[in-house]
Amino acid sequence: MSDSLHDTIRRFILENFLFTDDVSQLALEDSLLGRGIVDSTGMLEIILFIEEQLGVKVADEDMVPENLDSVSRIAAYVTARRKAA
Amino acid sequence: MLPTLPTLLDASVRRRPKATALVWHDVRWSYADLAAASAAAAAFLERRGAKPGDRVGLLLRNCPQYVALYYGALAAGCAVVPLNPHERAQVLAMQAQHCGTSLLAGDTAHPEWSALAKKCREAGVGIIPVEVADDAAALQGYLDQLKTTSATTGPRPPHAVAAGDLATIIYTSGTTGRPKGVMLSHGNLAANTASIVEYLELGPADRVLTVLPFQFSYGNSVLHTHLAVGAEVLLEDSLAYPHAVLQRMQNEAVTGFSGVPSTFALLLSRCNLEDYDLAALRYLTQAGGPMPRANISRLREKLPKTRLFIMYGQTEAAARLSYLPPERLDDKLGSVGHGIPGVELAVLHADGSPAGAGETGEICARGANIMLGYWNDPASSREVLRDGWLLTGDLGHFDQEGFLYIDGRAVEMIKVGAFRVSPQEVEEVIAALPGVEEVGVTAVQDELLGQAVKAVIVVKAGASLDERTVKAHCHRNLAAYKIPKQVEFAAVLPHTATGKVQRLRLV
Repeated sequence: MSDSLHDTIRRFILENFLFTDDVSQLALEDSLLGRGIVDSTGMLEIILFIEEQLGVKVADEDMVPENLDSVSRIAAYVTARRKAA
Repeated sequence: MLPTLPTLLDASVRRRPKATALVWHDVRWSYADLAAASAAAAAFLERRGAKPGDRVGLLLRNCPQYVALYYGALAAGCAVVPLNPHERAQVLAMQAQHCGTSLLAGDTAHPEWSALAKKCREAGVGIIPVEVADDAAALQGYLDQLKTTSATTGPRPPHAVAAGDLATIIYTSGTTGRPKGVMLSHGNLAANTASIVEYLELGPADRVLTVLPFQFSYGNSVLHTHLAVGAEVLLEDSLAYPHAVLQRMQNEAVTGFSGVPSTFALLLSRCNLEDYDLAALRYLTQAGGPMPRANISRLREKLPKTRLFIMYGQTEAAARLSYLPPERLDDKLGSVGHGIPGVELAVLHADGSPAGAGETGEICARGANIMLGYWNDPASSREVLRDGWLLTGDLGHFDQEGFLYIDGRAVEMIKVGAFRVSPQEVEEVIAALPGVEEVGVTAVQDELLGQAVKAVIVVKAGASLDERTVKAHCHRNLAAYKIPKQVEFAAVLPHTATGKVQRLRLV
């Protein structure tokens, strides 16, 4: 996992859901659903971002909170999928 | 005794005490468990000073605590004020204060809870923090806590109420940012429950999975209709992980599922429904705005044995007004059907005369489910309740056989997913942003949500504004679904001769 991947994911969420570039607004471990940052359509946008911008196809069975509910989890998931590819 | 939601639940408890009522994560509550929890909640609320007629606010997502507190408050003779978990604290506080809420229970992990509780406490509202953990031990702890802090824990008869007594106030989007609280009586809720149970043919063998929030009338009706027949309600509060929801529907052999157009658009766009064994799925219901015909066809194609009910309703009607019988989907595609049992529908011209077949007019409804009015707002109530009819604000027409078709809305509203958004409310928020000379808000088409919000802004001379600043300001002041998806800047806005912004020309 690289810091830049965390940064890229966090920047996307800050820009598109919190409308700021202030990184203090989103901790890496913050729950995206629990904090009300994204809803079901927001999660779809995040999946499209992972697929189109980060180049990782998200399989059906991977769409679970363990992979997607925080910046850290998304980064870990993307890293693991890239390694497996 | 008059049927009310608590007496209907009591009847289910007596018939099927050991049957599962609620399933939440790995927690299962039997009807006896739910009865004990709601009795404890009623006693707890009374101990906190709740009296018949008081308003009790709830800021909780779909969870067993919500259900227990809802039924507990009703059993104590109080009216429930379910607060929209998407809203910001300042709006929720305004609603709670508008209807004189005396007690407010809320999820301590909700992002707006601290700010809301602070505002309400300062206004003299009793605050009840609720820990919503999602495991059985935590839930049992909550139940034990209710029992130890309440005077009695055994079964208790619900407080006697009359059909016209207030049961709930649901806040809905008015045409302005002012709070608009729909008052529904015990009689309204019981009548609508009985009608829905009848046409969906609900029974104790049903297992419904709910992703619709209980704080809105559609989700509210799904919950109460199934508890009234002793069925099983599987609680979900989001469709963020649609595959997990479908997997759960398969594993639990779910028989019913309800959604709004965006629910089904999301499922159809991201999931292969045929990959799941949904053989037990007896019915789907869809309300909350028109669903594209292509999605209706795709759902029927993928789930040929499941009955699809297309429905229409309003919060002002305790949820439901009409449904299209599934066997008429072929010849009446695009229609929302006819009145549900006990509801009479009419299409009226502006002068009150009935429109003929094929003629568009305002859809009006009467029946035992029609609201008492808007809380503390007799003028708005008079505008929509006339001569025993509810004027829905929706335009429509009947065909020759009396099937209803929706043609649009008489009142300007943007429909984002299942949410109604007032353009004026969004305009008022944006207008408060320094640098804004004038703003107009309108609807634009959105593939997934049906419609989305668009704002067009004229910036004051010498000021500068960018899209992110506008969205960030909206994010601080509005529920997420009300934030404009598109923000444009213009030199001038189109106006009518009387100086009003022409919203339709902003698209």
